[in-house]
Amino acid sequence: MTVHTPASAPETQGQLMIPPRPRTWPKALGVTAVLAALTILTTIPAIGGVEIDLASIARNWTNGVDRIVQMLTPDWSILPRTWQPMLETLQMAIVGAAISAGLAVPLSMWAARPTNPNGVTRRAVRFVLNVVRAVPDLVYATVLVAMVGVGTLPGVVTLVLFDIGIVVKLVSEAIDSADAHYMEAGRAAGGTQTQINRVTALPQTWPVFASQVLYSLELNVRISAILGLVGAGGIGRLIDEMRGFYRYDALGTIILEILVVVLLIEWASNVLRKRLR
Amino acid sequence: MTATDTAAPARTPALPIPPRPRQVAARAAATIVTIVVLVSFWGLDLEWSKIAQLPQDLVHYGRLMFSDPDWSMLPEAALQTWRSVSMAWIGAIAGVVLSTLLGIPAAHGVGPAWVRFPLRWSFAVIRAVPDVLIAIIILTVTGLTPFTGALALAIGGIGTHAKWTYETIEAVPPGTAEAVRASGGSLWEVVRWGLWPVAAPELMSLALYRFEINVRTSAILGLIGVGGIGAMLTQYTQHREWDVVGVLIIVVVVVTMLIDAVSGKVRRRIMEGATVRDVERKH
Amino acid sequence: MSEQSHAVGSEAEGATSASGSWPISLTDVTVRYPNGVVALKDVSLEIEPGQMVAVVGLSGSGKSTLIRTVNGLVQPTAGTVRVGEHEMTALRGKALRHARGDIGMIFQSFNLADRTSVFRNTMVGRFSHTSTWRTVLGISSHHDRDIVMRALDSVGMLEKVWERAGALSGGQKQRVAIARALSQEPSVMLADEPVASLDPPTAHAVMHDLERINHERGLTVMVNLHLMDLARQYTTRMIGLRAGEVVFDGPAASATDADFEEIYGRPVQPRDRLDVS
Repeated sequence: MTVHTPASAPETQGQLMIPPRPRTWPKALGVTAVLAALTILTTIPAIGGVEIDLASIARNWTNGVDRIVQMLTPDWSILPRTWQPMLETLQMAIVGAAISAGLAVPLSMWAARPTNPNGVTRRAVRFVLNVVRAVPDLVYATVLVAMVGVGTLPGVVTLVLFDIGIVVKLVSEAIDSADAHYMEAGRAAGGTQTQINRVTALPQTWPVFASQVLYSLELNVRISAILGLVGAGGIGRLIDEMRGFYRYDALGTIILEILVVVLLIEWASNVLRKRLR
Repeated sequence: MTATDTAAPARTPALPIPPRPRQVAARAAATIVTIVVLVSFWGLDLEWSKIAQLPQDLVHYGRLMFSDPDWSMLPEAALQTWRSVSMAWIGAIAGVVLSTLLGIPAAHGVGPAWVRFPLRWSFAVIRAVPDVLIAIIILTVTGLTPFTGALALAIGGIGTHAKWTYETIEAVPPGTAEAVRASGGSLWEVVRWGLWPVAAPELMSLALYRFEINVRTSAILGLIGVGGIGAMLTQYTQHREWDVVGVLIIVVVVVTMLIDAVSGKVRRRIMEGATVRDVERKH
Repeated sequence: MSEQSHAVGSEAEGATSASGSWPISLTDVTVRYPNGVVALKDVSLEIEPGQMVAVVGLSGSGKSTLIRTVNGLVQPTAGTVRVGEHEMTALRGKALRHARGDIGMIFQSFNLADRTSVFRNTMVGRFSHTSTWRTVLGISSHHDRDIVMRALDSVGMLEKVWERAGALSGGQKQRVAIARALSQEPSVMLADEPVASLDPPTAHAVMHDLERINHERGLTVMVNLHLMDLARQYTTRMIGLRAGEVVFDGPAASATDADFEEIYGRPVQPRDRLDVS
């Protein structure tokens, strides 16, 4: 180590010691190339890509605008027919959230490290849940409708599967990231893992858990609104019917109604969430 | 406080144990929730025989789908999967570009109120409309094509993605933007040098996340006929060719998990600041 | 690992766990963590029944590890640990949990489940005497209930029994933690930096409680401290630990500042004392 005194400064004057600039461009080029290649590959119809047909937009854009205009002039006379299916949608959402909440309690405990130190079972539960989450909701509904027939049952099962996927993921991550020091006391007192989880981890995670279940209820209302498109019950059934008759004004009404219900549910669950703390 | 002998609890005089508080509010809430759930369950009018049958059905069809999948359909499934992924990718790029262009002026401190509020309201309206319905409107313009799917994903994505964009920009600590403003920067310079460098990693990570979401949604859009793995799945499910359905579900799961894993890894690298680590490694 | 792995847990069944205090004996205990850090090097100690021992050292000296090998929360990589008739290093699973039931422990950060009542937190101490299904269903026997209430009464926390643990002050929390350990009816009490998170008056009160437990119940007490004056004032024997090795072992009252400098490996500073005067 040499100490730089002001006296040594004049020597370097006029000739700055510029450190070499780190080469970032090869990397930037690489990233750009990958992005460009992917984009090109996804636009080749011959290998399954999307044919970008801007001409059709130029040709038919008025159709879309007509539909939107129709939707923006809602036909309120449809409203009485929506009550029953909308109620069904809400019931499906609630039942789905309730069943999945019950199943998610033990599953979340199994999927988190502090509450399940056994790596094998923990990874197994996580893997199964990753698989469950990888299947889109409407795909479940389509297959389940083919299995058990048209009705609300395939809809409820779809919602349960979807909810378990997200609730267990979010709750187990919350348990993982929380400082679970209270576990050590239970272990030092000679408790089994189940005892420790029941008495300490469960009450500790209860607010996160309840809040995630409420969140899944909100998502359920949105999802069960379209489940009817594939025959799984709820207001989607009516959407499918109106769409078949090109009744876009009625569709506008239904969308507005869904919007109102979703907002109400979000408001209610926010109120509940605040009380939970 | 006198010491009590805990070894012989039964013989010592009774302790003044305070009465246990009754948690009226909690009990009432629990009762209400239980009633709502039970009423919903009862109102759904589910057939008990079908529920009892359900586990058996799942095993039965599970066996049909996965005991001997028809792997000869794999090439076709792969092609359709690529179509879905293509929809997701193009939808993500177009959606992210649109969301960035619309989201930045919607951020507090960038656009004026008369720009911000209409933009935010239109994002909220888009969020309220299910993606499937957006696709139904768009297909009157571009027909039952994958392009419709990509457009629906792009426009449907604006609802949430533009919201994330302006929230990210608003979450940028004001320091850097203030510094640019203090040295006399214009609004454009503030956005380019004060906000963008700080928000960019987060925005890029969100863009990849948008792609992950689109991969799932594109399979759903296939169900209404815009093509891809979802369309194929509907078709074979309606024809009850379960051995093909099994292959398709396996393909969907594998591809989705793979994309999630790769995209997740890239996102983590972006957020950790890969460049910083590279520079450090050289020293 | 030890070769004498005969089960000793069965002998303990006959005697009631609260009947007396036990000796602690460590023979050539070495702890090497998976990351290569050696926390304890060949530590051998004999602690008489009913002794009150302070383990003194800077943070990172291995005193937390030392105390955790006594109840098996940390398993040594070499050497044997005996507590009373239990050979802790030979026990696994159920037998280890039973042995831990006879060893009470309190922690620096209290390790209470904040969202749960004081009662439930204290009940954790009865884990090793309660079947798992009883805990899961939340059924507590009258006997256990009585023990818990008396333990809370003996630390003056009975009136807070139904309050949330999170609503208590630091000193109150540590008292609940002591009650939790006492309700195990232990023969040995371990305390890992019990007063490090407390202000001086509360620290003295908690140390006083520990002293009282030692005197009145005759429990063997092993307490980790990093403050010299607390060790001098409340304990009879002091063990100094530096970099995982015992560098001092003698009567606490007569330990000089020079002895502390030897333990700390540096001159004594004001922050090594509780009461800065």
